Amino acid sequence: MSTDLSHFKDAFFEESQEHLTTIEEGLLQLEQRPGDIDLLNRIFRGAHSIKGNSGMFGFTAVSQFTHKMESVLDQLRSSQMVVTVEVTDLLLQSLDCLKALIDCAKSGEAPNDELVSALGARLEACQNGATPTKTVAVTAAPVPSHATQEHHYTITWGPPQYLFQRGLDPAQFIKELGELGRVKIASLDTSRLPGLKELDPEQCYLGWTLEVETVKELKVIEAVFDFVRDDSTLTIVDRPTSGAPASAMSDGPKPLGEILVESGIVSQSELNQALSQQKRVGEILVEQKAATLEQISEALKKQSDNAPAKKAETPSIRVDTVKIDRLINLVGELVITQSMLSDLGSRFEMSQLPVLLERVAQLERNTREIQERVMGIRMVPIGNAFSRFPRLVRDLSGKAGKKIHLILSGEETELDKTVIESIGDPLTHLVRNSADHGLETPAERLAAGKPEQGIIRLNAFHEGGNICITVEDDGRGLNREKILAKGVKQGLIAESDKLSDEQIWMLIFKPGFSTADKVTDVSGRGVGMDVVKRNIEGLGGTVSIKTTAGKGTTFTLKLPLTLAIIEGMTVRVGKDTYIVPLLSILESIQPKREMIKTIVGKGELVNVRGIYLPLMRLYDVFRLEPELSDPTKAILLILETEGERVAVMVDEILGQQQVVIKSMEQNFRKIEGVAGATILGDGTVGFILDVRGLLNISRNGTAQAA
Amino acid sequence: MPKTVLVVDDSPTMRQMVAFTLSSAGYQVVEAGNGKEAVGKVNGGTKPDLVVTDLNMPEMDGISLIKEIRKMPALKFTPILMLTTEASDDKKKAGQAAGATGWIVKPFNPEQMMAVIKKVLPA
Repeated sequence: MSTDLSHFKDAFFEESQEHLTTIEEGLLQLEQRPGDIDLLNRIFRGAHSIKGNSGMFGFTAVSQFTHKMESVLDQLRSSQMVVTVEVTDLLLQSLDCLKALIDCAKSGEAPNDELVSALGARLEACQNGATPTKTVAVTAAPVPSHATQEHHYTITWGPPQYLFQRGLDPAQFIKELGELGRVKIASLDTSRLPGLKELDPEQCYLGWTLEVETVKELKVIEAVFDFVRDDSTLTIVDRPTSGAPASAMSDGPKPLGEILVESGIVSQSELNQALSQQKRVGEILVEQKAATLEQISEALKKQSDNAPAKKAETPSIRVDTVKIDRLINLVGELVITQSMLSDLGSRFEMSQLPVLLERVAQLERNTREIQERVMGIRMVPIGNAFSRFPRLVRDLSGKAGKKIHLILSGEETELDKTVIESIGDPLTHLVRNSADHGLETPAERLAAGKPEQGIIRLNAFHEGGNICITVEDDGRGLNREKILAKGVKQGLIAESDKLSDEQIWMLIFKPGFSTADKVTDVSGRGVGMDVVKRNIEGLGGTVSIKTTAGKGTTFTLKLPLTLAIIEGMTVRVGKDTYIVPLLSILESIQPKREMIKTIVGKGELVNVRGIYLPLMRLYDVFRLEPELSDPTKAILLILETEGERVAVMVDEILGQQQVVIKSMEQNFRKIEGVAGATILGDGTVGFILDVRGLLNISRNGTAQAA
Repeated sequence: MPKTVLVVDDSPTMRQMVAFTLSSAGYQVVEAGNGKEAVGKVNGGTKPDLVVTDLNMPEMDGISLIKEIRKMPALKFTPILMLTTEASDDKKKAGQAAGATGWIVKPFNPEQMMAVIKKVLPA
């Protein structure tokens, strides 16, 4: 029988990620609670599972390295060693290395052996008092079956009395021997059998002498008794029926070491010791003091960083079986509704109309519920994306010399897996930004009458059909003057521009913008914030800033729950229907005549409570035949994106509905101002407006017309 | 009637692999994620012909599970195999003392595992 287990690899990698996260979180918590044995056990189990599982797929590098980590963890667990910053650091570094090893196993690349062995050596050295256990390479080579020699074994076996209590059966042993060759029971030993009164029928008192004729080697026979050998009286006498002893059989030249061992010049342990002294370049350099261990580690890290891009992974998702069961349940209901409907349809009379309507309503309920559940399958808790931050903040506080306390909340909030995967980097930027720019140094904080330790708070929660993620710090807040000055200097704004606070804060999202006095390792290179904004908007979300000088800054990311479905407002222009993403609609108004102004070269403007907004007639943009061309009779939708607003004129608002986005690029081509298309209730196609695109048209469109 | 094997491991990957190998070989498999779950399955009416269990598990570890099983009259003589790593010799001893029949050393391939199972589970 050959069963291929390789298709479980994906499951292994996915599970390993979870264990890695557990270990990392555990190690970070361990610094606060060094004596927490439950925590240590959890960390240990994570490492242990990775070790065991990786071996199953032949990822020996992973399992051997994890073994070393596990040994250190085991010593911590059994209090043979205490948790210190050094140990935690080492374990965290090892964890990174382990991650890299697992990635290599996944992509099939060669791992960075030198880093692995350098860290491995440190892990071994770390186990104080413990003898560094040299993991003996498991020789997977099968026992050569060329020994065609007949053996005649005489086996005398007195099994332990508890044999049955361990679920063992002597007949099984004899049967197994029978599969190896011819077995004859030579004699039955009943000497241990007590009198009937003392006899416990659940104990084994018998012993056997067996004759086995087979071509198999001694160790194969011994292996039969593996599970009882320690407590049995067992002698196996081998009497080869012909020729020389089996051990002399071998083919091919032997390794030097083996010959030396065999001829008794060196012992096996001496040989092993010699072999273990073979070193890697890095280790030798460190020994010769040509480089420090840190330098080597850095260099090795560089080497691995420059490694070619990894193979694309096939994404998979793990779903709670409960979710699937519910879904199957719902599909069952849907099938029932469908059969009820077709039954009704086959003999329909007008008098049954109320029944039909009821059934249709039921169908609608079923469909909506299924839709929600299916979307639920893609939903994962945001905690997965948050989990990297404790480590990040720990590293950042070390680098920036600041004391930072990270508070996470709302980790259980669920959102689409794709969204989670894409917000990791923007969130990292924001957290880095808060740690570097937002929070002051301990001295500054004390001078400002604040506690020495700064706080960064990450929170996630649902709001309507969206998810909000906030990154909040209690630092110095954004500096209005500094940002303005920098904005003017970089030509982003004119000195005469009157900007609202909101608009000023938005300047920090402009490419190349940075007010950091000096470029630090962490941030201040002026890359990042613009990328953050672009990424979030790419996901159909928005970023906003709230800040108070001296009190802190809060970045709020507002994201759709899923990328496939949006909540939209359906509007009509002439005979056509368009969908406006609900998220971007601020309000809708019917303007009075005096609110509309026309400015030469700038087009039409509408005054909404003192603020002039560009007015766009949607029929102009898409060259349609409108029903209404007078703004005072039509409806103006005030749309906002990225802090910019525009008034879009439509004939009528039809209603609100969820729409499934179908890509324009994939099915047709990109059209400015259109984010995608959807199929409406009556089967026609409706376009979904792209507010960003409309704003661009409003800016450039007038230029074109001019 | 196919024989029932109770597979207990907190690692879903390992559990799935063992379960897959066993069901490919014609066994009926019941899975549990830790000792407590396994005891629950048995109390819920599962009567395994063989138990394959990991040792390091949350809630209830393998050793405690083995002890629990050995206390049940119906499973007193049922073979129990533990999944261990090569380094844990004292674990093997502890498991045996608790009443385990034998062990399967990780890493193993399906053939190796089936060979051990054949040792303790009469066909």
